[in-house]
Amino acid sequence: MSTQVLDSLSEDTVRRIAEERDEPDWLLETRLDAFDELDELDLPDVIQTPGRRWTNLEGLDFESLVDPLNQADVTERDGEDDVVVLPFTEAFAEYGDVIEANFGSVLDPQENYLTALSVALFTTGTFVYVPAGVDAEDVTIRAEMNSRSLFSQTLVVTEESSSVTILEGIESGADAAADVSPANADRYFSNLVEVAAGENSYVQYGSLQNLAEDTYTYTLKRGSTDTYATINWIEGNLGSALTRSDVETELDGDGSETQIVGAFFGHDDQHLDLNARVWHNAENTTADLVTRGVLDEEARSVYEGVQDVGRDAWNTSSYQRENTLMLSDDAEADASPKLIIHNHDTEASHSATVGQVDAEELFYMKSRSIDPETARNMLVEGFFVPVLEEIRVDEFRDDLEELVQARLE
Amino acid sequence: MATLEINNLHAEVAEEGGEQILRGVDLEVASGEIHALMGPNGSGKSTTAKVIAGHPAYEVTDGEIVLELDEEDVDDIDVELSESDYRWNLLDMEPNERAALGIFLGFQYPAEIEGVTMTNFLRQAINAKHDERQELFADEADLDEAADEDEDAGYETSPMEGPADDGEIGVAEFQELLTAKMELLDMDEKFMQRYLNAGFSGGEKKQNEVLQAALLEPAIAVLDEIDSGLDIDRLQDVSEGINALRDEQGTGILQITHYQRILDYVEPDHVHVMLDGKIAKSGGAELATELEDEGYDWVREEAYEAA
Amino acid sequence: MSSEDLQDTDTEARFEFKKEQKSALKADKGLTEETIRLISDDKDEPEWMLERRLRALKQFQEMPMPTDWPGQPDLSEVDVDEIVPYIRPDVDVRAGVDDWTELPDDIKDTFDKLGIPEAEKNALSGVGAQYESEVVYQNMRDRWEEKGVIFCNMDEAVQEHEEIVREHFMTKCVPPSDNKFAALHGAIWSGGSFVYVPEDTTVDMPVQAYFRMNSEGMGQFEHTLIIAEENSEVHYIEGCSAPKYSAFNLHSGGVEVFVGEDAHVQYSTVQNWSKNTYNLNTKRAIVEENGRMEWISGSMGSKATMLYPSTILKGRGASDNHITIAFAGEGQDIDTGAKVYHNAPNTKSTIESKSISKDGGRTNYRGLVHIADGAEGSSTAVECDALMFDNESTSDTMPYMEINESNVDVAHEATVGKIGDEDIFYLQSRGLDDDDAKQMIVSGFIEPITEELPIEYAVELNRLVELEMEGSLG
Repeated sequence: MSTQVLDSLSEDTVRRIAEERDEPDWLLETRLDAFDELDELDLPDVIQTPGRRWTNLEGLDFESLVDPLNQADVTERDGEDDVVVLPFTEAFAEYGDVIEANFGSVLDPQENYLTALSVALFTTGTFVYVPAGVDAEDVTIRAEMNSRSLFSQTLVVTEESSSVTILEGIESGADAAADVSPANADRYFSNLVEVAAGENSYVQYGSLQNLAEDTYTYTLKRGSTDTYATINWIEGNLGSALTRSDVETELDGDGSETQIVGAFFGHDDQHLDLNARVWHNAENTTADLVTRGVLDEEARSVYEGVQDVGRDAWNTSSYQRENTLMLSDDAEADASPKLIIHNHDTEASHSATVGQVDAEELFYMKSRSIDPETARNMLVEGFFVPVLEEIRVDEFRDDLEELVQARLE
Repeated sequence: MATLEINNLHAEVAEEGGEQILRGVDLEVASGEIHALMGPNGSGKSTTAKVIAGHPAYEVTDGEIVLELDEEDVDDIDVELSESDYRWNLLDMEPNERAALGIFLGFQYPAEIEGVTMTNFLRQAINAKHDERQELFADEADLDEAADEDEDAGYETSPMEGPADDGEIGVAEFQELLTAKMELLDMDEKFMQRYLNAGFSGGEKKQNEVLQAALLEPAIAVLDEIDSGLDIDRLQDVSEGINALRDEQGTGILQITHYQRILDYVEPDHVHVMLDGKIAKSGGAELATELEDEGYDWVREEAYEAA
Repeated sequence: MSSEDLQDTDTEARFEFKKEQKSALKADKGLTEETIRLISDDKDEPEWMLERRLRALKQFQEMPMPTDWPGQPDLSEVDVDEIVPYIRPDVDVRAGVDDWTELPDDIKDTFDKLGIPEAEKNALSGVGAQYESEVVYQNMRDRWEEKGVIFCNMDEAVQEHEEIVREHFMTKCVPPSDNKFAALHGAIWSGGSFVYVPEDTTVDMPVQAYFRMNSEGMGQFEHTLIIAEENSEVHYIEGCSAPKYSAFNLHSGGVEVFVGEDAHVQYSTVQNWSKNTYNLNTKRAIVEENGRMEWISGSMGSKATMLYPSTILKGRGASDNHITIAFAGEGQDIDTGAKVYHNAPNTKSTIESKSISKDGGRTNYRGLVHIADGAEGSSTAVECDALMFDNESTSDTMPYMEINESNVDVAHEATVGKIGDEDIFYLQSRGLDDDDAKQMIVSGFIEPITEELPIEYAVELNRLVELEMEGSLG
């Protein structure tokens, strides 16, 4: 895989970003190391079968997409008193040690070309720190992207027996496109999230992406669980021209758990490349991967789900379900749910389906005098119910339902 | 005539810090007798049944389970027997070895095994019992001799058929036996082509357990809630089957039940009440009626006073 | 000793033996144009076949080894130059004999151990058996000939049925450019079977062929071409069994099946290559309107297998059915699955895969279902179940689904688990010992496959499983 050398980028760019933010030296070093490695790193893996590459990341012109020195965003961060929810720049003074100890510990900045680019250039993002025993139910991060490119980095650290629910919403600023980007230029949003869940802690991280459809989005969210910890991801994708989303949990502690719930709704010629992966690295761990998506018009979805059970992962339970509903004849759906099992003391299953709205159901509703459009919409909303039911945060569920309804109208 | 003796049996769940369930069970069941074991949920009835059969989920921490046999019980064994061949300490043995000696467990929840037809399973079980018995009773010298003979025997039948072994049940003979037993239990022949318990209704599974007991002709059958989930017709069929086990094969029955109902059809010679992992009271058939009318509390009080 | 032990001894003898063989012609090691010319010349082939071989050789030389599939078996030990690609048995027979009695004694002895006479006794129709790279025995029922059915050795078909072979041989179904091993196969193929079933004809008994390897460092490159014309029906069975050797062997067969309109072809195979063989095959069927293709495969042997029988559903209403089992023991990597291309409306496919891994073996289901735009009303159902015996083993499932049409019904399900303790206890309480209980559960697990096979093959498959299971007990 060939990666692009960005002529417009230099070490100097990276230094300028760090200096403006008055960052500690170790972070500048981390950024520079990532920058130096760019030449050596590949784009994220994409599934390829005879005659078909599922997503064409090589086709992205990063030279024109990436404009590191003009990044702009408006981000609102809310949290309760006993939990820390700050931009990194405001957190270094008090929590510098915690950040340094955890930054990159779960998500290696040099994982691939796009992560390295993101770590080298990020100018926004959030540090969430939940001290031991603290129970924070309502942390919200609402980000508005107002520039051609934006790189965001989020780190969540939870101490023993704490719990936190974080809801992240990402949209394009209302007037951003016209002001900042040259006409017709595409945009690029990169969002890295790492979660270090301490012993017996509980993290629920919901992310709802509804960016303008001139935007290319890359997001990698990865969490690591300590003993008895739980990380539950909710990933909703409705916006962007092309989305590449990887949501991953490493179950590193005995008795830890994860759930990855995904919902997507593509229309026009949107391309959604969505991936849910879990690694069972310890004993008595449980994973549940549930993804549901709808495709309309010429939208295309690509899904890879991986359940990897390690040699030492005794007594594992691991489940995966993926369902795609096709509303249009021109839509395309690719799916590959994978099981990689190295320990026989495992109960694992996965299933995937692709289909369209059930004709019988549609007929039944019509026979009850419901018009076809409404009937179809009701069935689509019904299709999302199993996913919505998994979402235990009312606010997030309402937001997602609202976006689904808006798209149906 | 065989006798199953359970003395001071203590058992706990086989894991670290496993809960103790049996706390000194004493019980004796002989061929031809019908015993009913009753008691509230969680008193240890099913555990007793599983421990008798050798379930790996339980660890015996004290006590013994012994099976005493007499000449009648070993009339199929050709070799000369020593005294130790008549008294077996079951706790040292694998579940299949216990089964070969004549212990049968009728499961409360029988396993469903896809792809294995009833016919295939039952014939293999009968043959396995035969082979295992020869091995259990034979001493080492006998075994070596038998092995030599086998090697000389060569391979004369078609490779598709495989050689038939002395004493094993042939296909035709087996079919005949099976048909007879199924008629006794009023079972549909179609059962035989189905997979072992797969997709069976609760009642069909229970019927199937009794059928297996009828075919394997055990010395002692422990039937764990064989009567739950049965409609009245099936309850009668199953009861007839159990009575036939006793009357025709002389099997000793230890029947675990919640309900008086089956005892109207299968009249017990002895009734035992289990409480907190022990036999709290034993008596005749009338005890069951008393329990039905008055519950278990009075037994508990009585036991408490006695202590 | 019990009766099982006795049976196993014999089964062992039946599947694991080797025999001294003299060779009439042993090609030089290494693969060159000269070797190809030698092969072709020795077979007295028409010029076009030589040209195809040479073209395939060129493609083989240009293509890289496949190394970048996720989790694929290690092929680094496969060095084609080390394989003597062509060995002819040192016997008088060239184009085959009509009767068992004409076979030389030593070859008959080999086949006796393989059980072929029993197959004959059981009236399982004609036997075409490949001994090393040559077909030495062909038997075809008279009444087939009357119906116009052709069943002969592939080399002979090139001579006797030149036009139809020329049209179909590695042209539209499996071109050499398909993959590196298909190219290799195209260059050095030898032997195999040709089956032609004319319109409206049903071959009511399975057509069988046995293949085996019997020389150190030798590859087996048989080619099978089956053409079933409109409204015909045939069941082809291929069985493989090879003795153990110290050096590695390569098997790279090619199978092409043409299923005409309303025709029905079933292709069954039980593969038991010796544990040092690399089994890299290309098998493909093209199915016309309302035709039906069935693949039934059991993969027991080999060091590494990469085999994904594929079906192209080309005509409206065509259907495909895959049933596959894989059993990987110590040191084995069985990477197998299925590929189905739905290229027409109302096409249907079902894939049922069962795999068992133990003693450090690895199984992988790797499958692709592609539904093309316009293939409306198509449906596919994939079911993969895996059973693991121990913690050294690996069980992977890697399905790929590409759905370009909305009016479809696509379902994939997979499970992985260990043998249930409760199930084993239940069987033990009925007198079966631990090993027999496991064996019974495994037999039950693969039963959906064995019930699809003719009884003789089902028995053979169960025997092989028994043997494999016993390997784990020592």
